[in-house]
Amino acid sequence: MPTEESLSLGQEMARARWRRRRVFVARLFRHPSFLIGAVILVLFTSAAVLADVLAQHPPNKNNYRFILMGPSAEFWFGTDGYGRDVFSRVLHGTQVSLTIGIAVATLTGLFGTILGTLASYVRWLDALIMRTLDGLMAFPGVLLAIALASALGPSVTNAVIALTVTFTPRTARVVRSGILVVRGMQFVEAAQAVGAGHGRIIFRYILANALSPLIVQLTYVFAVSIISEAILSFLGVGPPPPAPSLGNIIADGRTYIQEAWWIAVFPGIAIATLVLGLNLMGDGLRDILDPRQRNDH
Amino acid sequence: MTLFIIRRLLSALPVLFVVSLMTFLIMWLVPGDVSAEIGGSDATPEQIERIQAQLGLDRPIHERAISWYANLLRGDLGFSYLLNRSVVDAVLERLPVTLALASMALVMATMIGVLLGVSAAVRHNTWLDQASMVAALIGLSIPDFWFGIVLIILFGVTLGWLPTGGYVPITEDVLGWARSMALPALTLAFTQMGIIARMARSSMLDVLNQDYIRTARAKGMRGRTVVFKHALRNAMVPIITTIGVTTGILLSGAVVIETVFSLPGVGRLIIGSIQRRDFPVIQGGLLVTATVFVFVNIVVDVLYGVFDPRVRDER
Amino acid sequence: MTLQRRLSRYLRAFGATTVLAASILSFTGAAYAQVMGGEIVVSQNSNPPSLDAMATSSGASRNINMNVYETLFGFDENVQAIPILAEGVEISDDGLTYTIPLRQGVLFHNGKEMTARDVKASLERYRKVGATSNLLEPVENIEITGDYEITLTMKQPTPTFIEAFSSPRAPAAIIPEEDADAEAGKTSMVGTGPYKIVEYVPDSHVTLEKFDDYSQDTRHSGPDGFGGKKTAYLDKATFRIIAEPGAAVAALEANEVQIVDQIPVPAARRLESNEDIELYENLEWAFSVFILNMAAPPTDNVKFREAVQVALNMEEIMGIATEGLFNLNPGWAYPDSPYDVGDVGTEGYYNQGDVDRAQALLAEAGYDGEEFVILTDSNIPEHGRAAVVIAEQLKAAGINAVINQVDWPTALNIRMQDTGWNGWTLQMGIEPYLGPVAITSTLTGERPHFVEHDEELEALYQELVTGATAEARKETFAKIQERLYEFFGIIKLGDAGLMQAARSSVKGFKTFRFPRVHDVWLEE
Repeated sequence: MPTEESLSLGQEMARARWRRRRVFVARLFRHPSFLIGAVILVLFTSAAVLADVLAQHPPNKNNYRFILMGPSAEFWFGTDGYGRDVFSRVLHGTQVSLTIGIAVATLTGLFGTILGTLASYVRWLDALIMRTLDGLMAFPGVLLAIALASALGPSVTNAVIALTVTFTPRTARVVRSGILVVRGMQFVEAAQAVGAGHGRIIFRYILANALSPLIVQLTYVFAVSIISEAILSFLGVGPPPPAPSLGNIIADGRTYIQEAWWIAVFPGIAIATLVLGLNLMGDGLRDILDPRQRNDH
Repeated sequence: MTLFIIRRLLSALPVLFVVSLMTFLIMWLVPGDVSAEIGGSDATPEQIERIQAQLGLDRPIHERAISWYANLLRGDLGFSYLLNRSVVDAVLERLPVTLALASMALVMATMIGVLLGVSAAVRHNTWLDQASMVAALIGLSIPDFWFGIVLIILFGVTLGWLPTGGYVPITEDVLGWARSMALPALTLAFTQMGIIARMARSSMLDVLNQDYIRTARAKGMRGRTVVFKHALRNAMVPIITTIGVTTGILLSGAVVIETVFSLPGVGRLIIGSIQRRDFPVIQGGLLVTATVFVFVNIVVDVLYGVFDPRVRDER
Repeated sequence: MTLQRRLSRYLRAFGATTVLAASILSFTGAAYAQVMGGEIVVSQNSNPPSLDAMATSSGASRNINMNVYETLFGFDENVQAIPILAEGVEISDDGLTYTIPLRQGVLFHNGKEMTARDVKASLERYRKVGATSNLLEPVENIEITGDYEITLTMKQPTPTFIEAFSSPRAPAAIIPEEDADAEAGKTSMVGTGPYKIVEYVPDSHVTLEKFDDYSQDTRHSGPDGFGGKKTAYLDKATFRIIAEPGAAVAALEANEVQIVDQIPVPAARRLESNEDIELYENLEWAFSVFILNMAAPPTDNVKFREAVQVALNMEEIMGIATEGLFNLNPGWAYPDSPYDVGDVGTEGYYNQGDVDRAQALLAEAGYDGEEFVILTDSNIPEHGRAAVVIAEQLKAAGINAVINQVDWPTALNIRMQDTGWNGWTLQMGIEPYLGPVAITSTLTGERPHFVEHDEELEALYQELVTGATAEARKETFAKIQERLYEFFGIIKLGDAGLMQAARSSVKGFKTFRFPRVHDVWLEE
């Protein structure tokens, strides 16, 4: 039964959280890395959302007469081997790449949290989950994603599945270690002392506090997913044609890199810029959310 | 220490078992088989059925799994359908290429990365610091295969300084080998030096702010001596950990870079075997790669333990 | 009967015909001064799945193997069967016994002389592991009837046997007896050709070295198709695997590679003015075709298939798929080839791009927006590009076309099923080269490309293979072409070309079904 003291303790904590949140947001937008990164991300997102308005040509419209034309007023980024507008394809490709990035980051966050929480809370599951995740992590980098994407067949969904399986293990480890650190802290013990239930403790106190490293991690997962999609497409197991993704435009253009450099170069720059933006945001978030890992002093 | 190493080695066994299970899952999921490759791109269905029958490709997955594990226990990874050699030979033949590529890239990335990071830390909050960190971040953000293509055009075609791809064995021609590895290693190194530079900078900053460094400086020790004698040595522990992580990324990065530069390494072997459905090689290749990766991590752990005894006791 | 007599007469008379050819060749040959020695690198984009010639029908393997192995019979430059390792063939009047004397003094790369024992062993092995082992199905028995003679006994007269058996698709290479029991792909890689394999590093290279004891076929004066008098000028020829076409071009420009098996056409256009590089165009490389699944809706409806045929604009498809290197050709034979029957039966159907007519046909077919799945693979770029353009054109005509692009083994796997796909794009390379029988056989028999049988076509195929004279067979082929434009199981898109390139210092190179490294030399 809650006592007077515990209620006021709860209120006190809620107020503190609110204060922290306001200060946090303000600090975030004063942080130069985060700000630049956020601007880049917003620009790319708007360009992707407004792709149909911004591009004069539909992304998949081929035209035999306009094959491999260099950048011009009509085709800002030139045309590809099908006579399609590369600018339009880069915008629509950004849509696909962002969708994949967001989907992978979300799903990775979800499964990473579930597995990480289970592993840290249910003692007998810990070894099983962690050994399985270790096994998945023993495939270096994107090799597992490549193998899975080949096995499942090329599609956006399968690329998301392959990348989620690849990135979940590390995320789960981050969540697990975040929880293990927080669990021993005084405020959790205090909450237990005042009789809060397991569910409440997990969601209200532990996860909320293990969230910081998770968010930082997911920003990087977002960034790495975009590069990984490009790698999958480069190897022919990414999202299939004719729908553009930043990766498969580069894959289409690599054959003509000397004759029509614009096909591969523009989406390459788009990926690099977008990923740079996400990395900058990640750095900013880490500096503020997770000062133990701070890069700047 | 010995006990620690043995414990770490034993813990690798379940990990590798999971790896082998995953390879079976992949094989079970993947449609088609090696007959498509043997038949060629205009093979007729009748021809394909004949090839499948000749190779006995119709065995169920559990049967294949049982015989595969039985052979594995005898140290036999099977025989490739396509390469005219055993899986072990196929992998061992390629491993040096991948390891050479990854280690050359590692050396480059570490040298450039530590240099960038340390100079950024020493010149903290100056333009040099900013520029180094921007360079590191750009390295991290560029897709490596794309960067590789750009380098081929620049150094291979336009300037003609280095070969555009292909591999020269070191046993044949040392200089040719170095030239054939230069661009791929640089490509890989560029993306990894970012991680190392960032870690080097932050751990250097940590150390430079420690009391004993300030004391050393206050005592009138020269800046360079302080940095190299005291600070860098103490900053090495986190840097080595990062290098361990980087090694894994380099091994996987090598997969793609080998394709871009036509290098016959393990990564290209595995990707090629996936595309060709050469199942014994996919399984054997993945198992060997994972083993190398796991052991590199164990070595890093052990090194870490050497530098920082607390780690050893904790685990 | 007439065909086999003609054939054996032709084969026997061969010595006489070559005299004429010899004088012409030696005249043109004098213009160059062939140089012995030197090394070249040939690049190709995929790894050979096997260097065991008979066990594979892959082009990547054929490119290398045909420089290393030889067969009893093979095609000359004009796709006529000629003896290569055989002296000739004597066919009995009942057409049941083929006596094949062998050339003497032919050495294998391991130094042993080829005898009838090796030939019998090779053919027996071909039955077991040959990728097209059905070629030997008509053969009842293979007998050694002399040190240098084998005799084949047929189950029934098969007039087309020697021609079919000459096919380079999965060549019936003659290998030493010791390799006879080797499983597919596990031989010692020994043949009788002008070059021998000295090193194979998968995904990297295959190194061939000149075989010093090669026994030339002195019945000819120069190379002729897969046979003839082959001369190895180069000491070494390395086949390098460069998967990236752009990288292969870069390597050619940097002179790291001297011959590129296939280069992208835009790159070729760029290199046209480059004096160091010679381009070789082969406009009769393959038929680009689009095959429809006659078993699955909506393509099970002939009206729907007709709508697809008239909706397509072949010029745009071919232009994009082949990067501009193509011939529009509605017919099922190369222009001016012996079986070219012109555009008979094709009027009003080929290269229409007629949306209105397509929509009228769709209405007639009762089409209501079912998915039309175009299956294609990522391994052959032309396949994928053709599929993309076809999909766009069909969408414009109101067909709900979707592309399923997968890797080659998956595509083949899906294709072997009766449902799950409606159309697939294919570059038919070897069949058009071999001629009408080969093409029609893929459209008939146990499992035609378009899944369902067309009875009329089956009957025409029988008529074709038993046709007594060339004229009769050509007449039948005209009917086959007309029939193909009546039920639309397969749509001819056009003739696709192949662009090859070499350094200008490479002399004697001619574009062919595989890059011949014999009779090629380097200018000093």
